[in-house]
Amino acid sequence: MRQDRSLLAILVFAVVYAALSLTVTNSYYQLMMTLVLVWATMGLSWNLLSGYTGLVSFGHAAFFGLGAYTVALAQNYFGLSPWISIPIAAVLGGIAGLVVGLPTFRLRGHYFALAMLAYPLALLYVFEWLGYQEVSLPMERVHPAAYMQFSDGRIYTFIALVILVLVMLVTRRVERSRFGLALMAIKQNEAAADAAGIDTLGWKLRAIALSGMIAGGIGGFYAVVLLVVTPIAVFGMLVSAQALTVAMFGGVGTVWGPVIGALILIPVSETLHAELGAWVPGIQGVIYGCAIIAVMIAAPEGLFWTLRDRFFKRAPAAAAEAPPPSPENVVAWSAQRPRRTVGDEVILDVKGLSKSFGGLKAVQDVSFQVRKGMILGIIGPNGAGKTTVFNLLNGFLVPDTGEVLLNGRNIVGRKPHQLCAMGMGRTFQIMRPFQRMTVADNVLVGAFVKAATDEEARRLAADAIRRVGLADHADEIAGGLATRQLRLMEIARALAGQPEILLLDETLAGLGHGEVDDVIAVIRRLADEGTTIVIIEHTMQAMVRLVDHFLVLDHGAVLVDGEPEAVTRDPQVVEAYLGKKWGAYAHN
Amino acid sequence: MTAPQIIENILQALVAGVLVGSLYGLMCVGLALIFGVMRVINFAHGDFMMLGMYAAYYIFTALGIHVLFGNGFGPYVAAVLAGPLLFVVGYGIHRALISQVTGTRTLGLDGEGHYAQLVLTLGIALILQNGALIAFGSMPVSIRTPLSISAWELGPFWGDFVSVFINKSRGIAALISGVVIAGIALVITHSRLGKALRASADNPVAATYMGIDVDRAHRVAFGLGVAITAVAGGLLATTYPFHPFVGLEYVIVMYAGVVLGGMGSIMGAFWGGMTIGLVQQMSTLVLPTQLQNTAIFVMFLLIVFLRPQGFFGRVVERT
Amino acid sequence: MLTIDRLDAAYSVLPVLKGVSIEVAAGQFVAIVGPNGAGKTTLFKTISGIVIPSAGRLVFDGQDLMSVPPSARAHLGIAHVPEGRQVFPSLTVMENLEMGAYTAAGRRAWRSNLDMILTLMPVLAERRHQPAGTLSGGQQQMLAIGRGLASAPKLLMLDEPSMGLAPAMADFIFERLIDIRRQTNLTILLVEQRVAEALETADYGYVLETGRVVLEGTNATLRADDRVRQAYLGM
Repeated sequence: MRQDRSLLAILVFAVVYAALSLTVTNSYYQLMMTLVLVWATMGLSWNLLSGYTGLVSFGHAAFFGLGAYTVALAQNYFGLSPWISIPIAAVLGGIAGLVVGLPTFRLRGHYFALAMLAYPLALLYVFEWLGYQEVSLPMERVHPAAYMQFSDGRIYTFIALVILVLVMLVTRRVERSRFGLALMAIKQNEAAADAAGIDTLGWKLRAIALSGMIAGGIGGFYAVVLLVVTPIAVFGMLVSAQALTVAMFGGVGTVWGPVIGALILIPVSETLHAELGAWVPGIQGVIYGCAIIAVMIAAPEGLFWTLRDRFFKRAPAAAAEAPPPSPENVVAWSAQRPRRTVGDEVILDVKGLSKSFGGLKAVQDVSFQVRKGMILGIIGPNGAGKTTVFNLLNGFLVPDTGEVLLNGRNIVGRKPHQLCAMGMGRTFQIMRPFQRMTVADNVLVGAFVKAATDEEARRLAADAIRRVGLADHADEIAGGLATRQLRLMEIARALAGQPEILLLDETLAGLGHGEVDDVIAVIRRLADEGTTIVIIEHTMQAMVRLVDHFLVLDHGAVLVDGEPEAVTRDPQVVEAYLGKKWGAYAHN
Repeated sequence: MTAPQIIENILQALVAGVLVGSLYGLMCVGLALIFGVMRVINFAHGDFMMLGMYAAYYIFTALGIHVLFGNGFGPYVAAVLAGPLLFVVGYGIHRALISQVTGTRTLGLDGEGHYAQLVLTLGIALILQNGALIAFGSMPVSIRTPLSISAWELGPFWGDFVSVFINKSRGIAALISGVVIAGIALVITHSRLGKALRASADNPVAATYMGIDVDRAHRVAFGLGVAITAVAGGLLATTYPFHPFVGLEYVIVMYAGVVLGGMGSIMGAFWGGMTIGLVQQMSTLVLPTQLQNTAIFVMFLLIVFLRPQGFFGRVVERT
Repeated sequence: MLTIDRLDAAYSVLPVLKGVSIEVAAGQFVAIVGPNGAGKTTLFKTISGIVIPSAGRLVFDGQDLMSVPPSARAHLGIAHVPEGRQVFPSLTVMENLEMGAYTAAGRRAWRSNLDMILTLMPVLAERRHQPAGTLSGGQQQMLAIGRGLASAPKLLMLDEPSMGLAPAMADFIFERLIDIRRQTNLTILLVEQRVAEALETADYGYVLETGRVVLEGTNATLRADDRVRQAYLGM
């Protein structure tokens, strides 16, 4: 139902805009009506890559300019009509996206942004050198319409509107599919996305190819509208900046953001340019600059989100959940750990695992076995190497020496998303939920690795949510959840990928005592249902009630490996936790 | 072309490379100082340099420097004076705008924080470029000095065949640049301010524990970085004409130099800029002039892909 | 000298401190012990101003700390030796110590403080011109403590000085703390995982667990209390 409403909104927008453009007869305003749509489309192109993945591109002019020159040169040299060359421009833009993306996605953050900046500027000089300082589209007097040439400017507006609506529909479809979820997961936490079975490079390449297609196509159309192409007008900084600005001003990561941004900024800057351009030639750039700065400082997520958050305020997080009963004397708990029986089948066999960073031996010769249905607790003081062990198990790190056998197969050297598909699920110490998405959608991200269709993924996600006991909260927005529910949601996300073995990284951190009991009950139920669990925690407190077996790490090496009762009485463990001299007191 | 001619061309390109490279090096030092201390990539850095060029121009023409120091040396005095002026501008812009999205208040943020900083400086770049267009017009201007049409001759070597000319104007600019770099290096390594800046760069939280006001250190670093690049701009303006969008032509040079030098390493950035100058001038031996900039961009991309930690200096990029 | 009164603090969504009250008198050596994740480091960051508390009061030397910006707190006489050393890796050992003496008090007492620091930890004198990043973990810890002392503080806060160190080195560091205490009579607030060593050196101790103070008392009382062991080991 919500889907239909947003589709309706797009249609209503298109009809209203078309009706409005019919009333405009002044050719200058007709052009402006068209340009608003051109830049909205360009903003959507930028948004598709940068808005969803968070990788900021300062180089979208490269695709735009290639498209514009494709159309202009094709008509000049081959007499090709824009009706044919615009699709070609789009394809070229897409290819350019892949060519740029393949090397550039190796870079992150600053480096990515800087490298993207270099592409259009390099192309700008190349096109100047090639002698294309100014390429005009020849007037076709015989069949103007066959060459997309119309005396009525409103027709251009209609064509642009069709393109924009198409791009909006594509964007909307991407947003709701596993494609969009994958991109958003990458934006939140690329490592976690990888661990959830998402082929991050593959999706990013698809995103930049699609984004390049849109930019190339609209760049080609821009050439038709303006009839003349110059390097600075299509490869210049202002092109990339304009795409970025309309998207950021309106709101990133949504279909409407770039459209809203273009609807406000383009008329304002064009009008000022027309009215004052003669005396104040740079007014457009100043407007964009001010808009960017104002948005970054006042509403860093853009108008759309700021307004939406203001008008659709949600119930505060604290009120959503009654505080769990927590006993005052926190040290004296009484829950006893029931004995569980665990089979003999070894599903994870770690042999002699070692990893050094520089001179520091983070993990030294660690060996252990995990049997099916077992809950293994890995504990140890801060800096003992626990998280490094997890990173070695799920493929973030490659061990220097040693083997990891999952169901008898050595998995050393495989990528995290491949390991996830093989049944290695994991959660993270630091939670980064998609704040604005529902619990169900958050969990869905983890389900795609095992699901062939979107329906199956939804089913797996719903099942995982039920298993952790969050079914009542499935449609709530993650931003409103309490810590305990967020932790459970994280577990559900990992569960949705149908893992055989689930690695939990400090799932109990930051929980109050009653909450810890809740989460422990959930984890134990999962184990009873057949999921094998390895959990890291630095406090032993809660763990003794949960696990079947302990592995104690200290300074990267296995200190003790044994049953909880034995481990808590082991003098070495007492020393590692309480200090060497504690044993002496305890015996006195 | 005879062998001596070829050698002469190569030597001449080498000298030209060193001369322009020393100015590029100075520009890069300004950017590297900002990046090294604040971990912010200043997108508007080229445009601050452009402001430095106009500042030098107006100081020279309007403030009567040409009367005081003559047309020969006046432009250099003006270029150096542009430094303090732009320090104030940079300090002010940091305080008013950039500090809103950087510094201690964003220490806890990772990805999102940097995103805001990059985009904010893009906004500043657009305002500076177009604001300059409004204020100064689009006609290229230059600061003329009679020294730019005379040269020192080195040689002749190899009998009488090879001699190298050093343009006096560029030679003096390179010398001043060397002096400024040496001064900066002294301040950074030995002064209390320099040490506090380095401490803030190494670990802003621990620097706060020492009682260093990290936000203020950032403001000073930003002002200094802008001022240094402005001086480089003023010196460059004595030989090259400039216009409001000139920053874009140099901004990639600066990024390339800084990345080449190892992001954040200050002396590394100088050698990085020097290398870029040499590559640019040597490329004219084999490439058409219009593709000089493309050569730099290609080199920049290669550096970023092959060796993002740079060739000079240490690896400082965190995470 | 330092009063922490019903302090609450949170990291984004995770509540870390819940109603923590701690009192440190002038000249006292107070230890805060507790398992990892108890909120000890957050408590220190709150005192230094890096984490802003959501409720509660912090008073140092009669002054309300909430109104003092983080970088000004060192100038009041609070020296924070952070968790994991956090020396300035590209600065030399001497430069690190100079940064410690960034406060006016530190500069006034620079000569005598430097003497004391280098006598206590002679290895720092040997390495004085070496970048701190090239020191071993134990040497970095000594440098971090030296850097804290160089500010001539009224209160020295030490966050897990034994973390990640080999046992012999940890013992050595604790011995130095006892020396420092004997020589300077400084007020010291120590956070430690290793309860035994911490309580042995301190006058008074607090046990922090999941953000709350669950026990407090003198060294002897706490050592005799089996609940301390339970807080760590759970049984």
